[in-house]
Amino acid sequence: MEIQFLKNPRFDFLGKAKYFVGLSLVLILAGVAHMTTRGVRYGVEFSGGTQLIARFQNAPEVDKIRGAVEAVSPGAVIQSYDAPAKNQVLIRLSATGDKELSDVARDVLKGLGSSYAANPVVESSTEIVGPVVGAELRQKAVNLTLFGLLFQLVYIAWRFNGAVWGAAATVAVLHDVLVSLGLLAFFGYEITLNVIAALLTLVGYSVNDTIVIFDRVRENLRQRRKEPLATIINDSVNQTLSRTLISNGTTFLTVLGLFVFGGEVLRGFSFTMVVGIVVGTYSTIYIASPLVVWWESRRRGAGAGSATARAAL
Amino acid sequence: MPQSLQNPIVLWLVLSAALVGLVYAFLRRELRVKAACYGAFLIACGVAVWPPYQTATQPGRIRLGLDLRGGIHFVLRVVTEDALTATVDDAVQTAREQIGGKGITFGGAQRTSSSGFVVTGVEPARVKDVRDLLKDFFRAGWDVRDKGDGFEVAMTDPYVREIKQRTVKEAIRTLERRVNELGVAEPVIAEHGQAGDQILVQLPGMTDVEQAKRMIKRTAQLTLKLVEDVGGTEEGLLQARSGKLPDNMEIVQGPGDQPGQPLYYLVRREAVITGRDLKHARAGVDPQTNAPDVQFTLNPIGAEKFKRETGRNVGRRLAIILDGRVETAPTINSQIGADGVIQGRFTAQEADELAKVLRAGALPASLDFLQELSVGASLGKDSIRSGVAATIAGMAFLGIFMILYYRLSGVNAIVALAANLVILLGAMAYAGATLTLPGIAGIILTVGVGVDTNVLVFERIREELRNGKTVKAAIQNGFERVWITILDTHATALIAAAFLFQFGTGPIKGFAVTLVMGLIANIFASYFVSKFLFEWVLSGRQTTAQSTLSI
Repeated sequence: MEIQFLKNPRFDFLGKAKYFVGLSLVLILAGVAHMTTRGVRYGVEFSGGTQLIARFQNAPEVDKIRGAVEAVSPGAVIQSYDAPAKNQVLIRLSATGDKELSDVARDVLKGLGSSYAANPVVESSTEIVGPVVGAELRQKAVNLTLFGLLFQLVYIAWRFNGAVWGAAATVAVLHDVLVSLGLLAFFGYEITLNVIAALLTLVGYSVNDTIVIFDRVRENLRQRRKEPLATIINDSVNQTLSRTLISNGTTFLTVLGLFVFGGEVLRGFSFTMVVGIVVGTYSTIYIASPLVVWWESRRRGAGAGSATARAAL
Repeated sequence: MPQSLQNPIVLWLVLSAALVGLVYAFLRRELRVKAACYGAFLIACGVAVWPPYQTATQPGRIRLGLDLRGGIHFVLRVVTEDALTATVDDAVQTAREQIGGKGITFGGAQRTSSSGFVVTGVEPARVKDVRDLLKDFFRAGWDVRDKGDGFEVAMTDPYVREIKQRTVKEAIRTLERRVNELGVAEPVIAEHGQAGDQILVQLPGMTDVEQAKRMIKRTAQLTLKLVEDVGGTEEGLLQARSGKLPDNMEIVQGPGDQPGQPLYYLVRREAVITGRDLKHARAGVDPQTNAPDVQFTLNPIGAEKFKRETGRNVGRRLAIILDGRVETAPTINSQIGADGVIQGRFTAQEADELAKVLRAGALPASLDFLQELSVGASLGKDSIRSGVAATIAGMAFLGIFMILYYRLSGVNAIVALAANLVILLGAMAYAGATLTLPGIAGIILTVGVGVDTNVLVFERIREELRNGKTVKAAIQNGFERVWITILDTHATALIAAAFLFQFGTGPIKGFAVTLVMGLIANIFASYFVSKFLFEWVLSGRQTTAQSTLSI
């Protein structure tokens, strides 16, 4: 006796696509609105500045630490970091005046040592990024993401003999990135290098998912030439549905494990992955597939002869 | 373990031979070659990676990144203008000496930018002589142009670029020597960024940021120059020379007897000896005062020069200048040979650090810190613990799920997954790749992609079985149909990973590296190894139309 989650699923995915496209648009618009009004929080590697993580001997009292830090560098952000038992505090210092950034960090640690002597800092990590490097890196991150997308588009268009497929997959991936960014901003996560890495991975992952379904569509198209494309795509989604659920479900649970057990350093990364896998799966079914159908019917409606997507295969 | 087996190649040969024996004893002929090749490859990866990580007694084969083992990471900018300025200053000096030496009167020679200088007020009758002279001396790398009653001499762009490149290379070499003095294991010192003037310095295991910065930033230009005069103010010194600084002299500041009251030294521009003449330097203690000092020994050429100059100038003072500041200016009591001593107001640690940077040599230009990252060692250990915990939790979960859902075929998937990890870690060890925290995330992701490959195949096999195919045909079709999909998905993921690699910064690069290696390992393990396992299971029994598969 075998376990099987779904026996011959026959859901009408494409029929309901327009509601989900609407939902996606709302999510993206809300995310963009949130990011433009509230702004995006960049990690220290992008914004430039100084970030200190200090481990205290005993449970740190944030108020007292704030007092000690304010005296040296006003306007610092102070928050507890990672599990409470680790006695760790994150201190984010803004660049002040013409003092060298590293001097500020050293002064803060000295200040903590003298005015909060009851609870000494046992160990500390610092990250100091000059403003030039931060801006450079931000530019690089945007460029690399866009180029990465472009190359994947070209690859898919080449493999499937038609720009439609590449374009549809790319739009779906852009959708994933935008929705994830919106959610990151909404939950107050900083855009760090690790988050960018997660976003790029997510790009790969979402494309991966889209290709699995497109491949099935390609296979079915060869055998069932007479049927409408919409039916074939819908069938393909159903045929690969159990794989989609198992693969993405298990990966989802692994990154969820990373999110829960992976510690503070990986939190932004794993959050992006957790969100991204859900969104990536969803966008394949409700964004990429309808896009191909829509493009196809528009071509046909315009009387442009035989459908490009089908003819290409 | 016997000594000979410690050698990885011997170990690999022995294990592979044992494997080949087993394969020939128990496997059917058509599977033997495949089994032996796959097995030998996996054993090679396993041998390459053992022991996997650092223990107290043995270094691991996989290097841990700074974020996992603790350490310091700097990005520095070499102020290449410094080196240009120094070159132009030398050129100005040469021009003055040469023109003056021919008995030509001229207004002066001044540096006008970091890459050029002017000669002004040349007596009209000898303009041609000066032009010939300058053109002769500044032939390669310089442009000489007429300008009014004088000349403008500027470096050509290629020469400027060459000096900048040379400066960065020299700075890297100096930093390498200094880091050696610090005794840091496996440091990274390399050119960084597109502009070509940045240096990346990584010091794993080092935690004292301040010491590291002092050791790195110090230019450590040592010169010993003869003192002409000493005074309390610069103006006083100039007035004694009718208000004008002689061409062959300069004024350098130094500490006075009272704190806050510096002394000014008028010294010869030409150095008696420089840091380049040093053979050795070490921290010591003055036997009379017990104050820490730095003792140095000169190389033969330096010693010869030093002996000559000190012998000629007994009774005069010699200024020991470090990075543009007089440390001390002792009087030469007698001719000195190869050994000297620098007595500043050092603490023992300062003397020790100064000796180290003097041994390592001077930087050709000053450095700016662009980025700095330090990770405490136990903070790094925390990260590795949670990362490994998450990996193990994830894999345990996947294993249980695969067995529950696919039963015996789930075991196949787990074997494939284990093979995948062995290949990935072996490749990392072999390539000397660095494992970072995002790298661990990359491994987890590889595991996810590996399971996806298995699921794709297994679901396809189930589908084929439902359509009434025999077990053998179902497996054959399952693997064949899925091949294209796997190729496409891995190719696109590799494209994404290639762009991540471009980031060039430590942790993300580590992620990209594990992802690339993991994806390639995955095609082999989750596709070919898994397929082989199915073939092996099938070969062991008579297949009929009625036989079943545990999937």
